[in-house]
Amino acid sequence: MAPGEKIKAKIKKNLPVRGPQAPTIKDLMHWYCMNTNTHGCRRIVVSRGRLRRLLWILFTLTAVALIIWQCALLIASFYTVSVSVKVHFQKLDFPAVTLCNINPYKYSVVRDLLADLDRETRKALKTLFGFSEVTSRKRRDTESENPAQKGIQPKFLNTIPLLAFNENEKGKARDFFTGKKRKVSGNIIHKSSDVMQVHKSKETVGFQLCPSNDTTNCATYTFSSGVNAIQEWYKLHYMNIMAQVPLEKKINMSYSAEELVVTCFFDGMSCDARNFTLFHHPMYGNCYTFNNRENETTLSTSMGGSEYGLQVILFIDEEEYNPFLVSSTGAKVLIHQQNEYPFIEDVGTEIETAMSTSIGMHLTESFKLSEPYSQCTEDGHDVPVENIYNASYSLQICLYSCFQTKMVEKCGCAQYSQPLPPNANYCNYQQNPDWMYCYYKLYQAFVNEELGCQTVCRETCRFKEWTQTSSLAQWPSEVSENWLLRVLTWDQRQQTNKQLNKTDLAKLLIFYKDLNQRSIVESPANSIEVLLSNFGGQLGLWMSCSVVCVIEIIEVFFIDFFSIIARRQWQKAKEWWARKKAHPGPEAPPSQQGQDNPTLYIDEDLPTFTSALHLPPALGAQVPGTPPPKYNTLHLERAFSNQLPDTQLTNEF
Amino acid sequence: MHLRKYLLKGLHRLQKGPGYTYKELLVWYCNNTNTHGPKRIICEGPKKKAMWFLITLLFASLVCWQWSEFIKTYLNWEVTVSLSLGFKTMDFPAVTICNASPFQYSKTKHLLMDLDELMKAVLERILAPEASYANTTSALNFTLWNNTPLVLIYEQDSSHPVVLDLFENIPSASVGSNAAQGRTCSAPGCKLAMKLCSLNGTVCTFRNFTSATQAVTEWYALQATNIFSQVSRQELVEMGYSAEHMILACLFGTEPCSYRNFTSIFYPNYGNCYIFNWGMTEKALPSANPGAEFGLKLILDIDQEDYVPFLTSTAGARLMLHEQRTYPFIKEEGIDAMSGTETSIGVLVDKLQRMGEPYSPCTMNGSDVAIRNLYSSYNTTYSSQACLHSCFQDHMIHNCSCGHFLYPLPPGARYCNNQDFPDWAYCYFNLWMSVTQRETCINMCKESCNDTQYTMTISMADWPSEASEDWIFHVLSQERDHSTNITLSRKGVVKLNIYFQEFNYRTIEESAANNIVWLLSNLGGQFGFWMGGSVLCLIEFGEIIIDFMWITIIKLVAFFKGLRQKQAQAAYTGPPPTVAELVEAHTNFGFQPDTTNPSPHVEAYPDEQTLPIPGTPPPNYDSLRLQPLDTIESESEGDAI
Repeated sequence: MAPGEKIKAKIKKNLPVRGPQAPTIKDLMHWYCMNTNTHGCRRIVVSRGRLRRLLWILFTLTAVALIIWQCALLIASFYTVSVSVKVHFQKLDFPAVTLCNINPYKYSVVRDLLADLDRETRKALKTLFGFSEVTSRKRRDTESENPAQKGIQPKFLNTIPLLAFNENEKGKARDFFTGKKRKVSGNIIHKSSDVMQVHKSKETVGFQLCPSNDTTNCATYTFSSGVNAIQEWYKLHYMNIMAQVPLEKKINMSYSAEELVVTCFFDGMSCDARNFTLFHHPMYGNCYTFNNRENETTLSTSMGGSEYGLQVILFIDEEEYNPFLVSSTGAKVLIHQQNEYPFIEDVGTEIETAMSTSIGMHLTESFKLSEPYSQCTEDGHDVPVENIYNASYSLQICLYSCFQTKMVEKCGCAQYSQPLPPNANYCNYQQNPDWMYCYYKLYQAFVNEELGCQTVCRETCRFKEWTQTSSLAQWPSEVSENWLLRVLTWDQRQQTNKQLNKTDLAKLLIFYKDLNQRSIVESPANSIEVLLSNFGGQLGLWMSCSVVCVIEIIEVFFIDFFSIIARRQWQKAKEWWARKKAHPGPEAPPSQQGQDNPTLYIDEDLPTFTSALHLPPALGAQVPGTPPPKYNTLHLERAFSNQLPDTQLTNEF
Repeated sequence: MHLRKYLLKGLHRLQKGPGYTYKELLVWYCNNTNTHGPKRIICEGPKKKAMWFLITLLFASLVCWQWSEFIKTYLNWEVTVSLSLGFKTMDFPAVTICNASPFQYSKTKHLLMDLDELMKAVLERILAPEASYANTTSALNFTLWNNTPLVLIYEQDSSHPVVLDLFENIPSASVGSNAAQGRTCSAPGCKLAMKLCSLNGTVCTFRNFTSATQAVTEWYALQATNIFSQVSRQELVEMGYSAEHMILACLFGTEPCSYRNFTSIFYPNYGNCYIFNWGMTEKALPSANPGAEFGLKLILDIDQEDYVPFLTSTAGARLMLHEQRTYPFIKEEGIDAMSGTETSIGVLVDKLQRMGEPYSPCTMNGSDVAIRNLYSSYNTTYSSQACLHSCFQDHMIHNCSCGHFLYPLPPGARYCNNQDFPDWAYCYFNLWMSVTQRETCINMCKESCNDTQYTMTISMADWPSEASEDWIFHVLSQERDHSTNITLSRKGVVKLNIYFQEFNYRTIEESAANNIVWLLSNLGGQFGFWMGGSVLCLIEFGEIIIDFMWITIIKLVAFFKGLRQKQAQAAYTGPPPTVAELVEAHTNFGFQPDTTNPSPHVEAYPDEQTLPIPGTPPPNYDSLRLQPLDTIESESEGDAI
């Protein structure tokens, strides 16, 4: 026999019953506690004295509970993120810049379409506020053009009448055009004076929206100021008129790129109208986007500073402004990503005429982790809202798409300022007489989060943000004004014949302040490796346990345990069979039901001192053929064996 | 012979127990190791043995794999950031203020006279060509013009563009010159361009502009640079706005300050700039309170009437907040403040502090950047802007053999001008537009590890109000010029309030995500999780490896001995020497001390023997090794259950 075998034989001899061969469950438990690698179990078996054993049982159970608790905490906190901020110093992609004139269409061109509306607005102003001379200095001629139409019945004031409300007479309103008093029912909604009751004047102005055939269910909107009322009222009708104009015509009515952009300079190179892409916005008319990746290349900046950014001089033709639609002069600018839809009305920056506006940018890029770490979406494909915009997903696009879809669903037509969903038309009075009532109702519901859009839409996981610092300087300066305006007029000679004024022009500089790009990146705080090693740390700390111990537990408590029970049942059945053969009686098949006999679980308890003492010593004798084992010779027990001649260890065997 | 004996003795001393063959060693190891798996391999039945063997192998490889993952993660030098936000007493930022116009026109008129006359003529030619032909242009100084003339390019036929010199009587050196087109150009396709020539006008390029405004502005700026680069620095400083003239009033918190508290610096784009609280000579001033009352209040006079008309078209003051002891790159990072208004600037200090190599690719002080920092003469710290500018100037001097006026000069170099370097404009624009030059510079420069940004909240109001205008101007004029007349106007005064916001700092600080403690605890966790092992287990394993090597050495020695003896046997025929027996005997002899000195294990054994168990023979495992084989065999058989 090889020397290795010798040692093995020796170890084998020293070993107690091997797990599965243990005659009883109690033996198995004992064997397990003595031989397992986890600490604690062994102390239960070898401890003497009730109190000490009880304490050890308690300690072991506490340790197990602690392990389970700590591991549960570890699992619960698995999906957490850690954030890191990185700075890259590199060539930066220049963002897309969208420029719009605040006034959407040239008034001289659009005047024919709006003639009736404007006349009625003036009339309303005159009746309501006693203001007759509304024409601006240049527009006097147009006013006197068609006096013949004076007698025509006003159609706009009939569809949605402007009303003056008297504070004293609740529920009554005066239709200022007919002068008649009408009864107002339904809810009065203060559009702008909800929060602050600022208006002390007795009369407020507003308008009423009713479903076409039901005048009892009207919604009335009043405004604290007549300015707001007139503008809102005008806007409603304006949208209604514009919804019927085809897109090409609208584009032609608005400003061309050559008109808007007088000079353009980017990164030390001249650029012109060809570098701008047209983007028609329903409320701002023709907008132009610079660097919109039209020929698949994105411009980039390799130096910081205004010299290397975009410098444009914009022509803001103040004479062509619509007096009722817009009341401010200037341009709107929006810095955004190339594939992003420019929500110019929501997030644009306004720039002033006769000024040089410099916008210095810092680029910050954010990356979030999507499911299961947070509720963001990578590209919106998992959001159940159809993207009706021709742009990549964003939260705002989702909200507007959701609203527009609901609008088509509820009102049967689409709202004018947003793109059309497939198979829908823009609302107008000819086809949808009560769309406005429907729209206002729906909009109220949308704002109050009743449509569910806000819960459905999710933010995007990655976004670029350009932090802007804008500052103003006077431009042109006193001494350079003279020559500069002359040269600019020469530059603009193809578009306009008039001598440019400095209030018609605005200078805009957009540039990167430096080439440092900050990235805020979320990364998983835990990985599987870290989780496992944390488990290992917990198991090791409390019980010096490992996966091997877990396998042992499975082995002992599920396989060996049941095999012992099965064996005993089998023996019992055999005995019973033998007895039955001796005394014939009712037959029952030898079954192994003991395997799932729940009462037998009692035995699974670790043998306590008391229970061990009460066990009949004859138990071992039930299995014949086993020679008296010599477990007490096991190395590990030796230290105690001479001190406890009367404990269960010797008692049992 | 002796060697082997010696080795065996050595092995024996070394380990006292495991055994003298590989198998013995392995079994001993498995039985006695503290890792959880191996013990089960040897004390189970064959099926389970195989299972446990596989499990142990699997877990060992898992541990190795996970360890490699952890070490890889550790060597990635990842960082975590911590963000803190709040208010604390901080050094007030250095404030640099400049006038948008670099020089006073009244003082530079003598230098710019020729150029201005030329510019006026150019404008007249562009705007009203017919009228200007009547005037003779003989009075103009054409030396400036001939170096870099402006030309009109008529691009009706794109393959044959027609190039027209603005001044017809000057012979144009351009190739495509076609005088047949006529003298005027008002057609849509007509564009202005700057003609840049080198090598005495033989190689020319055109710098095209889409608008005349840009063309004349750029052209004037280029010519002005040429003129100013020939003037000494001292004269330039005198031509700019003086601190006395510009800074009318200054108040820091409750402490009055004056133009004397400002450090003057000459910045080529903006002339004289003045820096408050630069911290170069004295300690930086702290500010302990948020709000406008505790910040810096300045009243400036930019004197718009005295601007150089063609050089700058914007009017206002230029200001920038920066850290102490850094150079203000005011053209890149500054903001404008308008005249006739009060500009309030709330400041939040946004600081990013990084660890440097190997955690983040950044430089602490610029010493590891290959480019010489030209701004170090100002005694300022490194910044990536400074590096980029230095890099450009380096390239400029290398390619054009002269330095650009806007950037500082390295020792021994000179600024470019038309007289000494006639090709410089051509060379400069080529270099300036070159993408490769920029990319080289970007790749060579590194960002600084400490990045401070001042986030500003800017708001504006009209100042002075109409009611207060009179007395304010009166007092300020009295103080500056000691005159009873009002020498200031709304077009010239700028008021600035710079103060800390309620939260004045946001610091993002990096720290190492994975330190050595993290690594060790995770390694321990993994080893413990899969195998219940520790460092001591590794040491055990190492011990076994050493034993293993010893055994191998012994076997090899025996093998070679045997080989040599065989050879000897072949050579000398005779009775074979009983070497093997001898060795055996010697080995046994070597073991003698072992049996006589029982190990601690063995000492406990007599206890068992006292136990009164009848029927079992007294075990004598301690002498196991020396017992004849058949005894153990029978015993183990008898024990089998």
